[in-house]
Parts: sequence; C-alpha cells; structure tokens
Amino acid sequence: MKKKVLAIALSAAMALSLGVVSLPVMAEDGPYKAALLLNGTLGDKSFFDSANAGLTALKEELGEDVFDFKVEQMGATSADEAKWEPTLYDYCDDGSYDVIIVGTWQMLDALTKASQDYPDQKFIYFDEAFDYSAGGENVYNVMYKQNEVSYLVGAAAAMMTTCADLEKVNPDDHVIGFLGGMENSVIKDFLTGYISGAQAVDPEIQIALAYVGNFYDSAAGKDLALTQYNNGADVGYNVAGSAGLGQIEAAGDADKYAFGVDSDQAALLPDYAANIPTSALKNVGNSLIRAIKLDMEGGLGYGALEYLGLAEEGVELVEDAHYEEMLPQEIRDKVEELKQQIISGEVVVPTFLGENAISQEDLDAMLDATKVQ
Amino acid sequence: MWKAILSPDFFGTILRATTPILFATLASCVASKSGITNMALEGILLFSALFGVIFSSITHSWLLGLIITVVIGGLIGLILAFFVLNLKTDEILAAIAINLTATGGTVLLLLAFSGDRGVSSSIRSVSAPSLTIPLIDKIPFIGQVLSGQNILTWLSLVAVIVMHLFLYKTPLGLSIRAVGENKNAAESVGISSRRIQYIALVISGCLAAFGGFFLSGGYMNMFTKDMSSGRGFIALAAASMGGNTPIGGLLVSLLFGLASALANVMQLMSVMPYEIILMVPYLTTLIGLGVYYYAQKKKKERLSGK
Repeated sequence: MKKKVLAIALSAAMALSLGVVSLPVMAEDGPYKAALLLNGTLGDKSFFDSANAGLTALKEELGEDVFDFKVEQMGATSADEAKWEPTLYDYCDDGSYDVIIVGTWQMLDALTKASQDYPDQKFIYFDEAFDYSAGGENVYNVMYKQNEVSYLVGAAAAMMTTCADLEKVNPDDHVIGFLGGMENSVIKDFLTGYISGAQAVDPEIQIALAYVGNFYDSAAGKDLALTQYNNGADVGYNVAGSAGLGQIEAAGDADKYAFGVDSDQAALLPDYAANIPTSALKNVGNSLIRAIKLDMEGGLGYGALEYLGLAEEGVELVEDAHYEEMLPQEIRDKVEELKQQIISGEVVVPTFLGENAISQEDLDAMLDATKVQ
Repeated sequence: MWKAILSPDFFGTILRATTPILFATLASCVASKSGITNMALEGILLFSALFGVIFSSITHSWLLGLIITVVIGGLIGLILAFFVLNLKTDEILAAIAINLTATGGTVLLLLAFSGDRGVSSSIRSVSAPSLTIPLIDKIPFIGQVLSGQNILTWLSLVAVIVMHLFLYKTPLGLSIRAVGENKNAAESVGISSRRIQYIALVISGCLAAFGGFFLSGGYMNMFTKDMSSGRGFIALAAASMGGNTPIGGLLVSLLFGLASALANVMQLMSVMPYEIILMVPYLTTLIGLGVYYYAQKKKKERLSGK
C-alpha cells in the first residue's frame, strides 16, 4: 500500500514537472534575441567569423536593449557532429529566441527536423538550399550569388593577363587559370561567373581549369596551379578551400597573380600579398544584418529561398588600398562599371544554381569555347 | 600537350611529387622488413609537417627544425613500437589511433601555437632551401631539371642508397631482415627480435618525418590542415609493390610521381573528365602492381618447373 502511494505521488510529481517544462517560455518584451549556432568554431577567418562580426555590428548599432544574440560554437570534428542536432533542439526548447541562425550543408538534416518539430520557432539558414517540399514555413533561407562576384574576378583576370603595365604578366597570350576543389554545383556557379566575366571583356580568353579532387591537399593544388602558370596562365582564381592556398604559393613561386576567395587572403597571407590583387567574399554578416532588420519590421520572407548578390551586398570584392595599389586605374574602372551594370540589372550573370540555372551542356559549351589551345 | 610534358618544369613536378612519398616509402620498407606494418606513416607525415613549421620558426633554422622534427618522428615510431611490442596492441589499431590523433592533434597544436585553425601563415617558418649545383645548372634542359630542386629531394635519393646499404650490407640490416623473415629463427641465434623491431620502427618514424617536413617546408611553405592527404597510405602501397626494397620503392614512387605530373598536364588540356584524370596516378600504380605480381608468379612457376 505504501508503495502504491509512493508510486502515485511520484507519477504525479513527474507529470507535474513535465507539464511545467513543456510549457513554452514565451519571448518577453525584451530585446530581439538571436542565437547563432555554428557547426564549427570562431576563428575560421571566413563564414563563421563573418556571421559573428555582422551580429556584433548590429548589436552595437541598435543597442543591447533592442537586439541581443548568443553564439554557440559546436565544433566541426566528427566527434562534435553528434551534438549539433541536440544543441539545436535545446535552443528550440528554450523558446526565448526570436530567431535561430544556422548555416552550411552539414546542418540541413538537423534543421529540417527541428523546423518541423518546432513550427513556431523561426530560423535563418545560410549558404545551402533548404528543401521546402516538406514544409519549412518558418525557415528563411539565404544563398549567395557567387557567380556575380566571380564575374568581376573573371573580368579583372582577363584584363590583367593582357595588360602590359603589370610586371608579373606576359601580355602575349590570353590564358587565365581556375583551381576548384571538387566539381559541385556551388563551385560550378563560381566557374560559370568567372568564365562569363572573362569572356565579356575578352572574347579570345582561354581558361586553364583544374580540380584538386578535395579541399585539403594544398601540395597537389600547388602543383596543379604551377602547371597552369608554367603553361601560359598569368592569373588564377582558387575556389578550393585550403587546397587553394597551394595556388597562392604557386603564384608566389612563379611570380604570377592569384585571386583569393572566402576571406581577404591578401591580409591573411601577408607574404603573398603582392601576388593577390583582391579576394571574392560571401558576406554572411551583411546578409544576417539585412535579414534581422527585415524581420524586426515583419518583412522577412520566411518559407522561401533568397539569393543575395552584389546589389544586396551579399557578395563583394575586397576594394581596399591594397587593391588600388595592385591594379591599374583602367581595370578597376571597368570592374566598377561591370559591378554597377550587374546591380542595375543591365547585365545578368549566368548562374548554375536556382531556377534560372544554365544546364551542364551550356557550361560544357562555355568550357569548350575557352579551352586552352 | 607535348610542349608541357617536355618542359623542365614537368620533370621538376615529378621529383617534387615523388619526394614525400619516397621518404614514406623507405619508412614503410624498413618497418615491413622487420615484420611490422607501419600504418601510422600518414599520421607521422602530418605531425612532422606541423612540427617542421613550428620548430623551424622557433630555431630560425630549417636544419635545426628538421633535426627536431626527425627526432619527434622517431619518438612517434617509438610510441608505436611500445604499444605493439610491449602492450601487445594490434599494430593496425595502434596506427589508426596515431593517425586520428594527428588529424585532430595538429589542429589543436596549431591553434595553441598560432591562434589559427587551418593555416600556419602567421608562423614565420623557414623552408629547406633549393640546391643550385654549379656547372650542372649551365647544361641546357638537364641543368634546369636537376638544379634548383629542393635539398630534401636530393636527400631522399641519397636516403635510397643509404637504406639499401643499411639493409643489405650491415649486420643490423641483416638482423632486421632476419627478424622480419622468421622471428623464431632469429631469436634462436641470439637476436632480440623486440630490440630489432624497436630500432626498425624508430628509423621508420625518422624517415617519415623527413617526408612530413618536406610537405610544409619545401613542397609548400606553410602547414595546412590535413595536408598529408593520404600520402602515407600511398607509400605503404608503393613499398609493398616495390617488394619492400629501397630501390623497388624508389621506382614505384617515381612512377607515381610521373603519373601525378602527367595527370596535372592532362587537366590543363582537359582531355577527359577530371574525375578520371584524378584516378590516373592510382590506376597507374594499380596496373603496375598487377603486372609486377603477374611477372613474379610466372617467374615462380618457371623456377618450380611447372
């Protein structure tokens, strides 16, 4: 009998506690709160740092009473992977955050589940396409038009390789290089923009194209890039993660040029700054500031994917003093002109992503037309 | 295409691509000769690539950096030997543990040392210099191929000869081969197999460390995350294909280097989809392995009179 009473009491206590916990904690009339969950750590000098810098800038601009955020660094190793989804669920359970921000393709599965289990929680998802076929009315998805910024890089590279004023260039041929990590649709989007930009300023341009096969073999990347430089390319563009650093070293050894990507590589690698005219960036920070400001006004397009390009400052070319020093006025003027044309919509850069994507056959035709002779 | 292949740069690429694999191949040879498969080469390469950058920057000297790196490489070999020989751990499992530790451990150490997670660009490391050979560098073409190669590339070729002499002309080399051939027979004539295998694994670790140092201080001039990229495993295959002899290992490594350089040129000319081109080095090696063992089999059959 005693046992029975105890059991009932315990069950009651349990039920009660469950009820208390499961009561959603409603967001109070405090500041707009965001949680930034990184499936990695700060210090990547790329996406995650950019996201953190954007939110920090927004907090400074609006003040702590209006906007506040928390960063959770979940780590990137395979051992950390197991806690990405539970951490996301913890933050959903908490319920006090107006929006939870996650990014990259690795978080797609976890986010898809969480967005279905917590339909009232809002999410921002960056740099990978969310699959809206199974719902996701509470997810705002932002992607970046890397093709637009690559268009500018391609145009600049094509002008550089025939520019007699640049000391590291042999102006006789029309070859420029591209080093990719692996052939996937995002890399192909980079490539599509790069070729289009190069062709826009020089119809005779030839592209030396190579893929490393992974994103980490920097030594192999260096050899591939050296092969390009030794066979006529004067300028390269690396989109190969840390394997791409091999191209920058190759540019240093061969005394040529290489464009950076994802972070300001001229600043990151001061030894090779003289070989890096500028870098193409995806500005995650800017895109988050934009999204949150829109959300505060109630105008953020949840349930849909949005591509941000040069016009929305979702992508950009680093245009600092180093860039001005490296490239002659006429090249920079032309790049600026092309940029304004893209922003105004006068020029539409072909893309490999989204609804208006060109087909693989179109890309193959472009590659054929620009093959190294 | 021929213009690109018949350039001195092409041969330079072959030698560059061969060097780290050759060191690791020799490392694998000596371990295998003593009867232990050193599968930790991949991890030792990666650790050494990082330590090379760190210690050459601390000592401001590539030579001191190299010496310290090689000593540490030997220590890793010693640790592997301790696990395998004293604690009776499975040699493959112990090696996998070292390789996994290297993947995470190098990033941790890099972070602790420089605050960066992927690249050692903020560390002022000193790379091994290139060697310009007087007179020879005046010869057209050959001079351009031979001169200006990294000093470690030359050292790797010297190491082949040294290891050949060591294994086949010295008492210690004989003991290593005896232990690898038949442990009990060696023990019966008073050779301590444990001591010999310890020595072999330490030498193996040292040799691999040369290769790792070259990756970040010769091939590249910085450490990047996971930069060994499977070269340790390729070396295991190359050594076994070369019959675990230094000369055989050299030939297979050169074949792999040649195929890699060829693959680079094929990508430049975009003769076929890059996925197929990326297989060229491995495919070449695999076909070579098949041909070699077929020839071996035929030879055996001939000798046994079938």
